[in-house]
Amino acid sequence: MPQLNFTLNGQAVSTPAEPATLLVDLLRGPLGLTGTHQGCDTAQCGCCTVLVDGDSIKACSVLAVQVQGRSVTTVEGLKTLPGVPAGSLHPVQEAFINCHGLQCGFCTPGMMMSATCLLQHNPRPSEAQIVQALEGNLCRCTGYVNIVAAVKQAADVMAGGAK
Amino acid sequence: MSAAPETLRFGSGAAVRRVEDPALVRGEGRFTDDVTLPGQTYLAFMRSDRAHARILSIDTSSALAVPGVQAVFTGADLVTAGVKPIAVMPVFKRPDGQPLATPPRRALAHEFVRFVGEAVVAVVADSREAARAGANAVFVDYEELPAVADVMRATEPGAPAVWPAAPDNVCAESRHGDANGCDAAFAGAAHRVALDLVNQRVAPVSMEPRSVLAYIDAESGSERLTLRMSSQMPSGVRTSLVDTLPGRTPDNVRVLVGDVGGGFGMKTGIYPEDIVLAWAALQLKRPVKWQAERVEDFLSAVHGRSQVSHAELALDANGQVLALRVRTLAGVGAYPSTTSVLIPLLIGPWVITSIYHVPVISLQLTAILTNNPPTGAYRGAGRPESIYIIERLMDAAAREMGIDGAELRRRNMVRPEQMPYTNPMAQVYDSGNFRQILDQGLALADWNGFETRRAASLAKGRLRGRGIATFLEWTGGNALEETATVTVTADGFIELTSATMAMGQGIATSYVQLAHDVFGVPLDRIRVLQGDTDRANGFGSAGSRSLFTGGSAVQVASQRTVDEGKQLAGDALEASAADIEYAAGRFTVAGTDLGIGLFELAQRQGGGRLVVSALAKAGAPSWPNACHVAEVEIDPDTGEVQVVAYASVNDIGRIVSPTIVKGQVEGGAVQGIGQALCEQIVYDRDTAQLLSASFMDYAMPRVDGFRNFKTAFDESVPCLTNTLGAKGVGELGTIGATPAVVNAVVDALAHSGLGRQAERVQMPLTAEVVWRALRGEQPAALQLRP
Repeated sequence: MPQLNFTLNGQAVSTPAEPATLLVDLLRGPLGLTGTHQGCDTAQCGCCTVLVDGDSIKACSVLAVQVQGRSVTTVEGLKTLPGVPAGSLHPVQEAFINCHGLQCGFCTPGMMMSATCLLQHNPRPSEAQIVQALEGNLCRCTGYVNIVAAVKQAADVMAGGAK
Repeated sequence: MSAAPETLRFGSGAAVRRVEDPALVRGEGRFTDDVTLPGQTYLAFMRSDRAHARILSIDTSSALAVPGVQAVFTGADLVTAGVKPIAVMPVFKRPDGQPLATPPRRALAHEFVRFVGEAVVAVVADSREAARAGANAVFVDYEELPAVADVMRATEPGAPAVWPAAPDNVCAESRHGDANGCDAAFAGAAHRVALDLVNQRVAPVSMEPRSVLAYIDAESGSERLTLRMSSQMPSGVRTSLVDTLPGRTPDNVRVLVGDVGGGFGMKTGIYPEDIVLAWAALQLKRPVKWQAERVEDFLSAVHGRSQVSHAELALDANGQVLALRVRTLAGVGAYPSTTSVLIPLLIGPWVITSIYHVPVISLQLTAILTNNPPTGAYRGAGRPESIYIIERLMDAAAREMGIDGAELRRRNMVRPEQMPYTNPMAQVYDSGNFRQILDQGLALADWNGFETRRAASLAKGRLRGRGIATFLEWTGGNALEETATVTVTADGFIELTSATMAMGQGIATSYVQLAHDVFGVPLDRIRVLQGDTDRANGFGSAGSRSLFTGGSAVQVASQRTVDEGKQLAGDALEASAADIEYAAGRFTVAGTDLGIGLFELAQRQGGGRLVVSALAKAGAPSWPNACHVAEVEIDPDTGEVQVVAYASVNDIGRIVSPTIVKGQVEGGAVQGIGQALCEQIVYDRDTAQLLSASFMDYAMPRVDGFRNFKTAFDESVPCLTNTLGAKGVGELGTIGATPAVVNAVVDALAHSGLGRQAERVQMPLTAEVVWRALRGEQPAALQLRP
């Protein structure tokens, strides 16, 4: 079994990984990070979205070995991202709570990772850009109303504007 | 900084941050599949690829040879061991007087398979991959039989029979009302309208698929079975396990539920898969886990709706409704459940006259067997279908008479002075001011300014339409009792235990707010415990019942705890209980500094805790009602429909959590819009294979859909039959949105020159359907038999 070395939520990780193991299964299984969810089999729902070197990817559609030497951030690692004070939630997490951007919470980790990726690349997105960034994430509870509102609020907070 | 008292800022009626959210946004939710136990195995199902076949033989030898496979179970194994089919209550009969017809629903198919996706063989292995490889290695020899996967075709003469006891595929039938009186009313009516309406089969689609982890609980004895699962009704699941599994009693079965990633009715009852998981764990004495792949949920979780109706309305010259006549065929799949029969044959009819006074009705409703998975509860469960019928008819009648649809509705609304009002299905509405809700809805939607907007849309080449739905619904599941237990602990917490079940609707937050009203302690001192049949048993969460039943119980139990605390504090402080006052976590002797803290008082009790239970009983279902108005634009070149405006005014009685109920209505409305415009379960006409088996084929609303809702609430008409004054809210948006949006599309099409021909379009109103309609292509009229 190949040995996989990568950075996970800011920490170096070395773990054996079968060549056929999907990243989502490695994260949820041996690594015990169950915040990344699996909601479909066709890379459509986005519940498993994580960041790899800052880009959002669906962890059900890459092999674990593909993150060799790279940096992976999951929902559990949002608080470790630069600019987040120790003991605090990431502004995206805060905004999802403030705006009632989640109901059952199953799609929420993936939704927040897609949003975080967007805000890292585009700190002041338009509504159309937010919508485009979340196209790959399905939610059945909220109707997306408050999710888009949460991303807007997070952008404002991260840009130093009023909460 | 607000100077408002704490109860005003955090108690009922205040917009608070949900207590559920911090864990969920950290990725620290505990969904079933997040739990892994030592020695855990994985189960995979080999499912039927035939819609109807006799099982000639099953060869499991190759599956058993897959490395890691621990066991393989077939339907025959379970029958031999005495595992019973899932019981169906004989709630209605067939027209020939014979009992409700249904094949036995077994945990694994036995002798026959009756829909594509039915579980045939279960394979348990050390890893998920090995279990799947084992399932793929099972060989089943089938003798294929003719199948029918369409409700209309199932009623044609000579159609394949799903079950021999029902050669006509009629599972059961109900008739309501007065057929002769209805005929007479129609004969004398000035206006009559009729519509063929297809309420298509759709999938509930919780984002978390069904998931189960079954194990023998080491802590509580060697033979105690625990199912940790994603369910809205843990007690009901326990009962069904006891009923089907030999040797199981309520004492040796425990159902645990952690976070539930959406329910929408789909997770209300037991599934065959749950029984297999339980059985496997009992045989192997090891934990066994299964999480449905998405395709498995599309194939074998319940679907909703699936009704075909011919509906007629008779009115006098002034637009007063005289009579309603409806003939419905309801697809219940190959294995109807009690629920799937009750929904179309009884629950839907309860609200079919909605908020209108309809003197006489005649309903003939027939549940039809087909080679499909069962239908079941899906957000609204019967009410969306009925409200769709009456609201489509109202618009057709208004068009027929050349009057405004809102005005026609107003003329027929039950008035406040008629309350309590008994409808033709003997359902009693306690409260409602429907014209007041209508007036506010029209104002919020700027109803009278519509023609200006229509002209503006036309000027840019778009066809604009406006649709309205004014309606009520029945909530509570007729399970109107609920118990709540308050436990005050010495370490400073108030625990609320209830058998209602969180599934994303925020019920824990609402309970905490209600308890805060009484106890006045910070919200983070109050915890909600649910989802454990060892702690609480009851109906569970469905039918928009949890707040007005469970919330009432929380309120009563909290108040009783304070009352009991006053007695105990009186004893402790050597004062009369009548002189004890309570506020913000402290009992004091009136007019003195003498006092004792709530938690300190708990510490002095036996076990260091103060425990009080209370049962609350709502006197009747609650009847939330609303006015929803949608506007759409159609691109005539492509047929694409866009919702461009949506306003709703909702009467849900007293509101405990304003943020949450707004989220319920708007999120629910998006689901209703999904049914109106895009969602549809599709089976191949000839093979009965499921064609919409993934998110790549089953179109659901995505983030680029409509989000700009105007949502308002009118709290001036509380429910009179529960102590909270609350009415259910969870299904209201879904029920209203579908007819409002379809009415808007029909309006746009009718004004484009199609006139009443526009009424023949059927959901989902995809670009293709609308494009064809604009070119004069309409679906053929339905011929409902018999």
